[in-house]
Amino acid sequence: MEERADAQQLEQTPWVTIVWDDPVNLMSYVTHVFRTYFGYSKTKAHRLMMRVHLEGKAIVSSGTREEMERDVAAMHEYGLWATLEKSDGEA
Amino acid sequence: MRKFRRQGIVITTQLSPDEVMLLQSLIAQLVEMIGEDETDGADGDGPTGGDPTAPGGSGDDPFAVWAKEFEPPGTTAPPDDPALQRLFPEAYRDDPEAAADFRRFTERSLRDKKVADAQVALQHLAMTDQGRQELRIPKDEVDPWLRTLTSLRLAVAARLGIDDADVAEQLADLPDEDPRAWLASVYDWLGFAQETLLAAL
Repeated sequence: MEERADAQQLEQTPWVTIVWDDPVNLMSYVTHVFRTYFGYSKTKAHRLMMRVHLEGKAIVSSGTREEMERDVAAMHEYGLWATLEKSDGEA
Repeated sequence: MRKFRRQGIVITTQLSPDEVMLLQSLIAQLVEMIGEDETDGADGDGPTGGDPTAPGGSGDDPFAVWAKEFEPPGTTAPPDDPALQRLFPEAYRDDPEAAADFRRFTERSLRDKKVADAQVALQHLAMTDQGRQELRIPKDEVDPWLRTLTSLRLAVAARLGIDDADVAEQLADLPDEDPRAWLASVYDWLGFAQETLLAAL
């Protein structure tokens, strides 16, 4: 069972969680969420927040579809605008 | 209100009686808004669904109860209210079917979590004795507060029609006689509360 699950996982195209810019959430709050939920360093969380702010969106995590659904649900709990999609290979 | 500040493991501020009442009222409205729709979802058939041949919710048919348990919980359609749309956004941009499935399986628990967060904030507010005592938030309960302030800001922003940064800026300079002026000042105040709460961490 274990081996099969692993093999399956390797074949799967990775999925990504994207956080989109919105005019409401404070920059300090978005950084706080990235640090608290993903456990990212202050620097990484700040860099991702700036990317959301300046480029309109940022990929904040990648993994299996199930993992990304969990991350998106968590972002929605925090009130961030997040979606998941199949990675186009950039991540 | 004054800025939040940290005292050891507790974050505190002093709110006026009016500010306590305002927050309590906003949070109560939020809970009501989130809860109202949940009743529809909990019925399993919402306003448009409903199988006329199904035993109508009398609760004494074990098969009906049983079938209900196997029904996926929650609704699948995005909400009509712009405030709820922002609190419960679509998880898939280009795949309505996947978005509906996601909503069906996660929206109920997302609603429950938002209500639970709001209850934490209401408890802390109740302990201020209508602003006679300081508001005291233990550091490990700051996140329910931050999430609740976010929900309130998103809901107020939707009512004000803030959907881009330009609108947000215009609202900052509204003349007093503008009908949106009061709500815009509430929006600012919530932002101040959240910003200083974060800074106090």
